[in-house]
Amino acid sequence: MTPRRPSQLNRLSAFLILLAPTFTSAAEITYAEHIKPIFREHCLKCHGEDQAKADLNLETFATALKGGSGGAVLIAGRASQSLLFNAITAADENERMPQKKSPLPAAQIEIIRQWIQSGLRESPASSSLVVARDTRFKPAPIPTADGPPPMPGPLPAFTPAPERRPLAVIAMAASPRAPLLAVAGHEQVRLIHASTQALIGCLAFPEGQPNVIRFSRDGGVLMVAGGKPVHSGSVILFDVRTGRRLTRIGDETDAILAADLSPDQELVALGGSGKTVKVYGTTDGRIRYKITKHTDWVTAIAFSPDGTKLASADRAGGLYLWDPSAGGILLALAEHKAAVRALAWRSDGRMLASAGEDGLLIWWDAHDGWPAINHPNAHPPLRPSGYFGKLANGVLALAFGPEGELLSAGRDQHVRLWNVAGQAVKSFATSPRIPLQAAITHDGAGLLAGDEAGSIRQWTRAD
Amino acid sequence: MKIPPPCPMPTAPRPPCAHHHRSLAAGCRLAARALRQSNGFLLSLLLATGLCAEEIPSFRRDVMPVFFRAGCNAGACHGSARGKDGFMLSLFGYDAKGDYYRLTQELVGRRLNLSAPEQSLLLLKATGKVPHTGGELFSKETSYYQTLLQWIAAGAPDDATSLPAPTGITMSPDHILFSGAHETQKTTVTARYADGSQRDVTALALFATNNPTTAKVDKEGLVAAVGRGDTTVFARFNRFTIGAEVIVLPPATNYTWPNPPAHNFIDRLVYERLQLLRLLPSELADDETFLRRLYLDLTGAPPSPAEYRAFMSDQAANKRAVLVDQLLQSDGFTDLWTNLWGEMLRVKGGSYAPTGTDVKAADVYYEWIREQIATNRPLNEFVAELITATGSNLTNGPANFFTMLVHDTKITPKNLAADFSQLFTGVRIQCAECHNHPFDRWTQDDYYGWVSFFTGIQRKLGAEPREFYVFNDLSVAPAKHLVDERPMPATVLGGATAVPKDQDPRQALATWLTSPQNELFSRNLANRVWAHLCGRGLVEPVDDMRVSNPPTNAPLLAALAQHLADTHFDLRNLVRTICTSRIYQLSAQPNATNATDTRQFSRAQLRRLRADVLLDTVVKVTDGERAFSAFPKGTRAIQHYPRSPGDTARPMTGDSFFDIFGRAARHSVDASDTKTEPTLSQTLHLIAGDTVQQQMRRGQVIAQQLKAGVPPEAIIEDLYIRTLSRKPRPSESTAMRGLIGQDTRDEHVYQDIFWSLLNSTEFIFNH
Repeated sequence: MTPRRPSQLNRLSAFLILLAPTFTSAAEITYAEHIKPIFREHCLKCHGEDQAKADLNLETFATALKGGSGGAVLIAGRASQSLLFNAITAADENERMPQKKSPLPAAQIEIIRQWIQSGLRESPASSSLVVARDTRFKPAPIPTADGPPPMPGPLPAFTPAPERRPLAVIAMAASPRAPLLAVAGHEQVRLIHASTQALIGCLAFPEGQPNVIRFSRDGGVLMVAGGKPVHSGSVILFDVRTGRRLTRIGDETDAILAADLSPDQELVALGGSGKTVKVYGTTDGRIRYKITKHTDWVTAIAFSPDGTKLASADRAGGLYLWDPSAGGILLALAEHKAAVRALAWRSDGRMLASAGEDGLLIWWDAHDGWPAINHPNAHPPLRPSGYFGKLANGVLALAFGPEGELLSAGRDQHVRLWNVAGQAVKSFATSPRIPLQAAITHDGAGLLAGDEAGSIRQWTRAD
Repeated sequence: MKIPPPCPMPTAPRPPCAHHHRSLAAGCRLAARALRQSNGFLLSLLLATGLCAEEIPSFRRDVMPVFFRAGCNAGACHGSARGKDGFMLSLFGYDAKGDYYRLTQELVGRRLNLSAPEQSLLLLKATGKVPHTGGELFSKETSYYQTLLQWIAAGAPDDATSLPAPTGITMSPDHILFSGAHETQKTTVTARYADGSQRDVTALALFATNNPTTAKVDKEGLVAAVGRGDTTVFARFNRFTIGAEVIVLPPATNYTWPNPPAHNFIDRLVYERLQLLRLLPSELADDETFLRRLYLDLTGAPPSPAEYRAFMSDQAANKRAVLVDQLLQSDGFTDLWTNLWGEMLRVKGGSYAPTGTDVKAADVYYEWIREQIATNRPLNEFVAELITATGSNLTNGPANFFTMLVHDTKITPKNLAADFSQLFTGVRIQCAECHNHPFDRWTQDDYYGWVSFFTGIQRKLGAEPREFYVFNDLSVAPAKHLVDERPMPATVLGGATAVPKDQDPRQALATWLTSPQNELFSRNLANRVWAHLCGRGLVEPVDDMRVSNPPTNAPLLAALAQHLADTHFDLRNLVRTICTSRIYQLSAQPNATNATDTRQFSRAQLRRLRADVLLDTVVKVTDGERAFSAFPKGTRAIQHYPRSPGDTARPMTGDSFFDIFGRAARHSVDASDTKTEPTLSQTLHLIAGDTVQQQMRRGQVIAQQLKAGVPPEAIIEDLYIRTLSRKPRPSESTAMRGLIGQDTRDEHVYQDIFWSLLNSTEFIFNH
């Protein structure tokens, strides 16, 4: 295997030391010692005891915490959501603080960021206001199995559409109970044995390209969603054992880009370029409700393992949790700044992982929508020599394994395995190709990635 | 590594889903490669059977030109900064790497379908087979479709880095002469590449005409004559624009060249052009018309009655040339050109100007400019000193250049770079900030290298609040390229290499800019001087010089620029050369051939007086006096520059009369900020506003003559000479005398006559 990369945490602390040589760790930054001098230099003339514009007084710790007329300006542990931090880092100079002056020096901004991230400590004696998150994995009971793990028997025959070359692996899923892999092909889905890599058979999908493939929790039903771009889109449910079509849901005017089947198999949620999440009943194929809050293409949808939450995300970075029974909003998870490409629930339902083109990989505490673990640069971009500019470092795919481990695939041509504490424990190169999909086999032994050339690579956890 | 067997296995009626295109793959099948990674196990689902067509289209050479030609990457479509309907292409294709990424990797599987190329969304959209905001752009039968299809079928490969880039284009023929309407001419466009190869790109170029009422051009490059005149059709391909001149002649009936005398090279070059276009020049203007025109153009006011009589009574054959020389030495000339430069350089002062543009600084700047004009400083030296000036804005006039060129609370290198270029070269380089200039030769590389000349310009507070020191901080990093954020060291426009690190970039900039060899500079200055004297630039607008806006008489502009450079950038020499030409002295009266000519200088153009000149003119002819707020008594309008009680970072003319009559508010560098279009409010102001009547009251022109017992006929004549620089015609004399009637002492009738003259079109216009 490739030389093991230093863990993200190690690198982060190395970064901090470089930036602020006087601090050995961010936890030592306090209001009294470090922050107030910065406020005094730049802020207190307008936001102090004397003026307190917008009712914001930064002169004492207590009033700073209280915020201004618009509410709190500091959120412990979340600089990105803290108004104060956004004000001093605003790109638009008309919105930036301090007004009509040069922005704060980068080193001071970094100190403020670390202070917020480390929990807004007032003095060396005070403790962090960020409550430590318990990210431990608690295995959920395996769904009551009806018989042996579902594997395909003889499948219906069909004439496959000609393929000039393999379709990029734009969709892939591993059965949660059986050594079975389902992979997108042109107007078909290939079923592959996860241990032997043998092709078991194919399911016809004349509806177009399969953009989303998901197994039901018991592994007995395969959901395939997709269609023909700007022409048609629908979701098909297949019986994994027989390959029979169980039902067809949705009749869209564009290929479906995101979809999921609820754990009880009663609902299918789908979305795409229409910016709307539509939720259908599987028994009657009727639409139950629509969610119209998204402002851009819906790019990812996922039901929580217990069926009590529905997550959906869009191309503008919007990410929400809904009540699947009627579509009421539960939480807005604001952090992504660019298209969200993947959503995945940990099997115990306590963590939702999201990732996107902004390079963020986040484990959200599903209980209150707190970003328990946030990696800002989970797949750092490849930087060829002589290339200076911004490069996309998107994270394209996520898959949780049976023990809460997470596999991610990114534009840096790497697949990474993360433990439940959010530490990268393995990294596999797929160069020169970009891995588009990731999957972990039902037993957790096989790590899989599908790439843009239509190839699937497999590693074991021992690699 | 096992290759999975085909499927469906037992009952497959036909070849398996891993389908091979045997027919297409004939002759060159790529061996399936099993890639084994050091730490991974490759599971290949399918083995690609690659198609090696005769020639796989290249993304940059073949595919991107289709986007260009079909308009996909135009500004209103996917070339807009945020793309269209979720898909962005770089405008006119400046970012090939980015375009390739967005097509092939941004949303894998969405835009291209490598498994079933015909089903690629790109093709379905372009051919209108699925809803597309842009509609159907081309059909499946076209070469455009085939190019895209073959490229996708080949796997949408990226180009090798060794692909030769285009270096330029030519259009053939480059001159088209139509002898009548309805004639046509096919043009072809050829691109040259860095490896020396050439290629016919007519089918990939875009065509346009500058004047569709003279000639039109279709998508295939077929030029068709429409009506008499001259224009340019131009073709664009890649980042290049090239023009071909088109002349549509009127019928040749009865056209004989009258062979008028030529005073100098200007006349000869205009005559050549007129003969080519079968235009006849108007007659020479009479002495009265010439006199008024010259006074207005050179001193900013008409001649006084005494000056009129002196010239009219002069019998010398060369009296026009003598008068030109005399006026070139006048204070009026210095004031007028100080005013014109002050407008271009945006001299403005404020009483509360926290950024170094205090009234005191503006005064120092103004006086320095005036000194340069008064001493006839060579224009290249004048400009060079502006560019390289440093130090206190209160003691060193030219140091105000960078703080006043853009009045702003902070110095923005991009704004300085744009305005500097527009002012001194006529090039609107800012078009190349976000994309290569679509209608000129400038690239983003040119732009960012240019901006880097200005990244170090800074000012700091001096000894008192009004004082600022301007300096160039050489340690400031150069501008970064938009596309890849490369640092772009300071490089002159069109320059191949950056200014060496050990040189002061401003010195290098000045040396390059003001060199006699730099046509950008000499053409720009010559064109601006010509425009002031002849009412229209050879390139119009004067501050928009580009390949697709060619001069109406290219040899003349070249000759004027050369003349200026040869005479060491002597402003008065150039003005003298133009004003002593016969072309300058032609009448505005059209003949049968040139009534519609506004571009070839076959006759004088009617020009409404500039706001400041008009006000001075009203004051001078009424013997009046006009005060300007914050200026001493006796200040002329052309000596006035905007002063503000506050700061200067906003448009301001400094006087309501200037607002109405369109004096430049000195807020932008655009030449069009000086407006000379007549408007209704101008007419109303002259009729009923406070200017005309107040000045008439002030001057007491009529009362004094009545008091002196001047007879009515003489008063009428005086009023005509004052306002129009001519004697009344006999019919006018008779009519006016009739109005006065028996009571020849009644001032009111004279005032009505005077007022009417001041409100006449003849008075408001230079003709």
